[in-house]
Amino acid sequence: MSEGALNPRWPRQMGALIRKDLRLELRTRETVVAMVLFAIVTLTVFQFGFGTRDGDLTRFVGGLMWVTLAFTAVLGVGRSYVAEREQRVLDGLLVSPVPRLVLLGAKAVAIVIYMAAVEVVVIPLVGIFFVKGPYWDAIGWIALVALLADICIALSGTLFAGLALFTRARDLILPVLFLPALVPVVIAGAGATHAVAGGAHDLSEYRGYCLFLVGYAILFTLVSVATYDAVFDD
Amino acid sequence: MVIAARGLTHAYGDRRAVAGVDLNVAPGERIAIVGPNGAGKSTLLRMLATLLRPESGSLTILGAEMPGGVRTARLGIGYLAHDPLVYLDLTARQNLELYASLYGVPDAARRIDGLLERVGLLARTEDPVRVFSRGMAQRLALGRMLLHRPRLLLLDEPHASLDAAGTALLDAELHAACDDGRAVVVVTHDVERAAAFADRLIVLRAGRVVLDTPMAGMSAIGARTRYEEATG
Repeated sequence: MSEGALNPRWPRQMGALIRKDLRLELRTRETVVAMVLFAIVTLTVFQFGFGTRDGDLTRFVGGLMWVTLAFTAVLGVGRSYVAEREQRVLDGLLVSPVPRLVLLGAKAVAIVIYMAAVEVVVIPLVGIFFVKGPYWDAIGWIALVALLADICIALSGTLFAGLALFTRARDLILPVLFLPALVPVVIAGAGATHAVAGGAHDLSEYRGYCLFLVGYAILFTLVSVATYDAVFDD
Repeated sequence: MVIAARGLTHAYGDRRAVAGVDLNVAPGERIAIVGPNGAGKSTLLRMLATLLRPESGSLTILGAEMPGGVRTARLGIGYLAHDPLVYLDLTARQNLELYASLYGVPDAARRIDGLLERVGLLARTEDPVRVFSRGMAQRLALGRMLLHRPRLLLLDEPHASLDAAGTALLDAELHAACDDGRAVVVVTHDVERAAAFADRLIVLRAGRVVLDTPMAGMSAIGARTRYEEATG
């Protein structure tokens, strides 16, 4: 049902929902651990797949990192409503006076935190596995673009996960919807990473990709605001 | 009126689950909605709980007209479903703290302690719900429903999975709520239990109200007879 504007209690409600997700994750350790393991395995497969024992894959570093992170994001986003679905709690949240937009926003923040936890492992591993160049000098820039990309992933992922939540073939539908939406994030993330760690240190190119990610985040925020009601309705 | 519904309908595909229900509920009323399987009881309750959008008709809950006033209405609704609607990997206290934050319950810690004591879970507040029996989880759900002092209590088969002590506790809480001027609507298939609890009996069949009668002076056998006449 249509809800109208946010109420003044929403920051407290969102804080409670984020705390709940983090508590559940700390207790069960199901999502982040699976995401980290998946990312490590994927990077390892890439390393063997390229078959270069002592070759330098610096120029591919952006693609290697962001394809890994994109698939890891699909895994994480796919698990974002598992507790609500499997433990049948969703009606309890939906019957409460929490705006649907706050439910989506809280999930998005939790996903940003999960992705950041994965990147703490993935970003250094990419440097160890694939790069002989000046990667470590650029790690701050990479972390910054990773944070921006995480926000984009979380905004689009939460929306698609919410849409898929009420479908029977949700495990199939979510990647089909979400992966194409991730392509621009992969392009921008890989481009920005390559700009600062792929050889030349081109900050103007890096800035362009970051602005693109900001635009993507704004777009999906607007789409979420326009559709949040329909995502959870009935 | 706590609930004023006119001509509510809802369909799942081609099957019309609720087909034009009118319902008025006053403060302090105890209403039992009974009917055979597939009569539309749970669908009607979900509409009253604002979880399902009526396809047609008008619905006003606690003075807030749907769908515009939905969040105002939700502040005053307590909903007890088949499932306890609590996270199994959180403790009893953490679950109630979460809901207290969502509803903006003042002095939440004291309210939670008081409720956990009332539902007999004070000794198990730090245990994850996963280790609770079904009946204990349902007691916690009762606490969750009462936490924000709702003015309208909506319950779907609330006695299922409760033992005798749990049933007595639930009945006592519901009677106390009605004495306090809150309205209670219970969906059940158990006519005898409905007769013992309610002061008004509504029978649904094929999505329509086929009997709406006060229970004053009616025995359980009388209620059963009226139910069977109404449902054919």
